Amino acid sequence: MTALLRAELLKLRTTRTFVTLVGVAVGLSLLLVVLGAALANDLTEKDVRELLMFDFSGLFILLLGVIGMAGEFRHRTITTSILAAPDRIRLLGAKVLSYALAGALLALIVSVAIAAVGTAVLSIRGEVTIGVSEMADVLWRNLVVAALFGALGVCVGGLVRNQVVAIVGLLFLSFVLEPTLLALASEVGKFGPTVGAPNGVIVINPGDDSESLLAPGIALLVMIGWVGLGYAVTALVLRRRDLV
Amino acid sequence: MHPVEIQDLYKNFGSVEAVRGLSFSIDAGRVTGFLGPNGAGKSTTIRALLGLVNPTSGTALFGERRYDQVERPSSHIGVVLEDAGFHPGRTARNHLRVLAATGEHPPERVDEVLATVGLTEAADRHVKGYSMGMRQRLGIASALLGDPEVLILDEPTNGLDPPGIAWMRGLLRHQADAGRAVLVSSHLLAEVAQSVDDVVVIADGELRGAGTLGEVLGGDDGPVAAVAARDLGALAAALEQHGHDVVREDDRLLVPGSTPEQVGLVAAEEQLALTGLGTRSRSLEAAFLALTGDAQ
Repeated sequence: MTALLRAELLKLRTTRTFVTLVGVAVGLSLLLVVLGAALANDLTEKDVRELLMFDFSGLFILLLGVIGMAGEFRHRTITTSILAAPDRIRLLGAKVLSYALAGALLALIVSVAIAAVGTAVLSIRGEVTIGVSEMADVLWRNLVVAALFGALGVCVGGLVRNQVVAIVGLLFLSFVLEPTLLALASEVGKFGPTVGAPNGVIVINPGDDSESLLAPGIALLVMIGWVGLGYAVTALVLRRRDLV
Repeated sequence: MHPVEIQDLYKNFGSVEAVRGLSFSIDAGRVTGFLGPNGAGKSTTIRALLGLVNPTSGTALFGERRYDQVERPSSHIGVVLEDAGFHPGRTARNHLRVLAATGEHPPERVDEVLATVGLTEAADRHVKGYSMGMRQRLGIASALLGDPEVLILDEPTNGLDPPGIAWMRGLLRHQADAGRAVLVSSHLLAEVAQSVDDVVVIADGELRGAGTLGEVLGGDDGPVAAVAARDLGALAAALEQHGHDVVREDDRLLVPGSTPEQVGLVAAEEQLALTGLGTRSRSLEAAFLALTGDAQ
């Protein structure tokens, strides 16, 4: 498994996609945080925590996972991968794990960058900032969610196989379906894989929104459940699929 | 025990029977041509052997193990598939580094195989800029990475120019001479005839012939006498009495391995009148077409 994991991480490092997505995720997150820190006034500690959660690593690693796995079918490298590692379940496991690690790394880079830059801008403006322990609280939540999103993206990519269909489908789920469900039936929507459950993990002190959010521990378990389900279904399909 | 052994293999795709009861084996130190027209079932057979498609029934083994039971398969089996994909944004060197990491091969093997296939200069270019011939060479490099005992190549000459085909022939011969078992599929007999020792001919998913090139396609069996006579039955009986093999073909007899002179002497001895006598040199291509004829 170590060799497989090493190979999958090498695959990630040897194309421009990962570096490009890291750049875009860092850039976009920084832009929003800098704008928020520069323009907002009379911020409370809760506002600052929310500001420092403008972390797009989850979305980007979700898409990267889809691209990475569905790309194996698009470029027909899946046969080469399976010939090198005929145990398809282990191969999928290594890919899931590698994208989870990549997600955590991406979230670390983005979170540290926005925390440093956001805090600097707020300090210069004399606004309130949050302490290291609170930043660490934000960080671990972002890391865990990004890691699970990376794993989920691989599963979706392996199941759908068509990159465009998978990405459009996930974006529709994230930006239309789940928000609508949360608005209309939050008791169901809060279990959603891309918005509902992740929000339960990420949001600290939800206040008035507590009804529409799962507790962090439960939300984490729900996310793990989604990844487990995705892995099981994708593994089943991948194992039986003829590669002609 | 053969390095590769296929027994009674069937593969159906829905109602289509792609492979029907195929059985054959290949041996170490020999190049085996796996021949048949397009759609004969060659690629499906190879993919079943490699565990990429699930056989409907039958077995396809390396020694006594299925491909997925072979530990670190790239150390034992090298594979070049017809439509093997490469990530266009990855360099050849990185493609090989990934495979080396998966197969736990020493990193220096990457440079060695790049040199073997003549890609050292282009190793750090993205594969999307590669010609078809360069991609084939990269496929070969991938297959050789683990220094395997068995090489499986599916239509490796597709898209290659004549120098590339000649290079491929030399490579196959060299690999077999080094003791490896080589199975190379092709729908073009002429491209592999010069480098194969054995052939397996299939058509419509069924075995049509297996053995040495000479045994199956008769290309090295020398001349075939072709003779016509007023009484073909009597001539056939006479020739068989004198130890000749006789094949009836329309209004004449073919006598493989015999010269017209030998046939004429038998006819004279038996006082049988001939109406025609000559040779029919049986080309490999004609023999191949005869074997696969109804599938062409």
